[in-house]
Amino acid sequence: MPELFAPPGTEWQPVSPRLAALRRVILAVVAGLALVTLGVLWWLLEVPGWLVGLGVAGVLTAAVVGWLALGRNARSWGYCERDEDLYIKHGVTFRELVVVPYGRMQYVDVHTGPLEQAFGVASVHLHTASPGTSARIPGLPREEAARLRDKLTSLGEAQAAGL
Amino acid sequence: MSDAREREASEASEAVELRVNDPGVSDAREREASEASEAVELRVNDPGVSDARERERPYRRLSPLTPLARSGIVLFAAVAATWRELLRGDLGPFGLVLLALLVAGAVYGVASWVRTKYWVESDELRVDTGVIARQSRRIRIDRLQGVDIVQPLVARLFGLAELRMDVAGGGRREGSLAFLKLSDARELQQVLLARRDSARGSPSPSADGPAEPGEVATTPGQQAPERLLAQVPLSLLVSSTLLTTEALALAVILLLAVVSAGFGFLEALTAALPAIGGLAVVLVRKVVASYGFTVADTANGLQVRRGLFELSSQTIALSRLQGVVVSEPLLWRALGWARLDVSIAGYAEASSGEDAGPAASTLLPVGDRRLVTWLARQLLDGVDPDATPMTRPPDRARWVSPVGRHFAAAGTSADLLASRQGWFVRRTHLVPHARVQSLRLTQGPLQRRLGLADLHVDSPPGPAHVRASDRWSAEARDLLEREIVASARARRPQRIG
Repeated sequence: MPELFAPPGTEWQPVSPRLAALRRVILAVVAGLALVTLGVLWWLLEVPGWLVGLGVAGVLTAAVVGWLALGRNARSWGYCERDEDLYIKHGVTFRELVVVPYGRMQYVDVHTGPLEQAFGVASVHLHTASPGTSARIPGLPREEAARLRDKLTSLGEAQAAGL
Repeated sequence: MSDAREREASEASEAVELRVNDPGVSDAREREASEASEAVELRVNDPGVSDARERERPYRRLSPLTPLARSGIVLFAAVAATWRELLRGDLGPFGLVLLALLVAGAVYGVASWVRTKYWVESDELRVDTGVIARQSRRIRIDRLQGVDIVQPLVARLFGLAELRMDVAGGGRREGSLAFLKLSDARELQQVLLARRDSARGSPSPSADGPAEPGEVATTPGQQAPERLLAQVPLSLLVSSTLLTTEALALAVILLLAVVSAGFGFLEALTAALPAIGGLAVVLVRKVVASYGFTVADTANGLQVRRGLFELSSQTIALSRLQGVVVSEPLLWRALGWARLDVSIAGYAEASSGEDAGPAASTLLPVGDRRLVTWLARQLLDGVDPDATPMTRPPDRARWVSPVGRHFAAAGTSADLLASRQGWFVRRTHLVPHARVQSLRLTQGPLQRRLGLADLHVDSPPGPAHVRASDRWSAEARDLLEREIVASARARRPQRIG
């Protein structure tokens, strides 16, 4: 019996572990802001200490759970380039596997935000004529993203099919 | 005909040929193309063929009645608001302001009419507009998705029509010519569609349909010969509308209101009025929009005509068909009625929000199930949509979808992917293998425990969306792998170089 999210033939190509690091930075910033807010509540608005303590505990638990979940999610991303199509899978709790034939690609986006730039990663987004296609690979090393983009566009042109 | 004109025409035809880039252009085809383009040039540039009326420049204008038709409602409202003052012969300050606005509007309307010109130039429709800021728009004819004729009520009274062009990636207003004389609009529609098809190198999309391939050659500019495929009689339209959910809700609310009023709660009646009014309006608009619905097969694709006050005529190119949906509401099933919708590339759902009536994608708002099946078959290259073997999700799916699983089914045949869902309205979605955009497997936590998964087939925007919900995960993966092969094989023959 084939496993539902088994790689097609070869192994899944993982994304950069820096994706987890990047997302953890965002998580840390958000958690930090939450703690600062709680501190302000306690210090300036004299909210009872036990309530603030409860809030701090909640934020810390959420941060720890998020920290672990982000690591697992980043490891769950995988893609596989085949002759005629690209497989992408991701997700831990809600899993998804997308197959996009190169001939169906309308265009390929490479996105790099400021934080992604700092971490040297980029995300590649494949678009077909269907808005339902959610083919996105985040956290690719920059050179890999550029290579994938060039490969996908050239393959897409070679195999392009009319609507 | 002057020499210059002849040269222009042959140049234009050259441009078309070049872009088609057909390596083996036979002489016959060249001649045909140049003849066609000549005809187009003649028709578009010079409506009155007589030399005496020949114009210096090849552009044409919208109908001179345009400002009147555009402002008809405003004019009416203004007069209605001030008729008492007008009758008395003295205008209050309100009337004066209105009058000033009207004059300004009239001046602007006339100026706008003077400044708006359009003409067909080789492979483009050019439209120049703008009174203060000039705008020159070029619409590539080979990129046109559809060319529709719409006649709003006021325009219809003047014998005018609006030509709406669906441009890939453009909004509705991007490609609209309002208003033209109805005959001019029809003529331009035919010219544009014929040019588009010749530029794309496909003789005619209606080759898919039941029409004989021989009758395809039509001279552009002429009203294309057509064959009536289906029409909706008024009695059927009204009775089917009365058997929809909205009508039932209306009946229930009405009944409740009347009964409670009978018991002395008159407030109930007033409270129910807005709901009753709203539902009634929805129902009436449905009937009005689908009034006189006909589907005809023409050289340029299927032509859908409908409307009581606002007439609309859409031409749907079958070569761009992406999928088909057969809907059967609960009450219709007993009577053997169904509705047919199609997904057409470029006909985004955006156009469906404009009126409460049928979306641009409706091919038959109601009809006998056999007629709907027959029509669907014409669309799907003769493949019988009902012949697709479909299976139900396994019993274990009850933990995920206790009710829906009884009405869900999915399957594939040699040509189609099919799925069905819904009890209140049973919808059967059909997508040809060649039209699959991408495939997705999804699995939630509960499904993972049960070993189930969903398979989605992604299609371009439109009603058709095939999905196999809550299948065994091995089966879902297997279906995915087989579909990848099947769709790749189906795609290959129509690949463009």
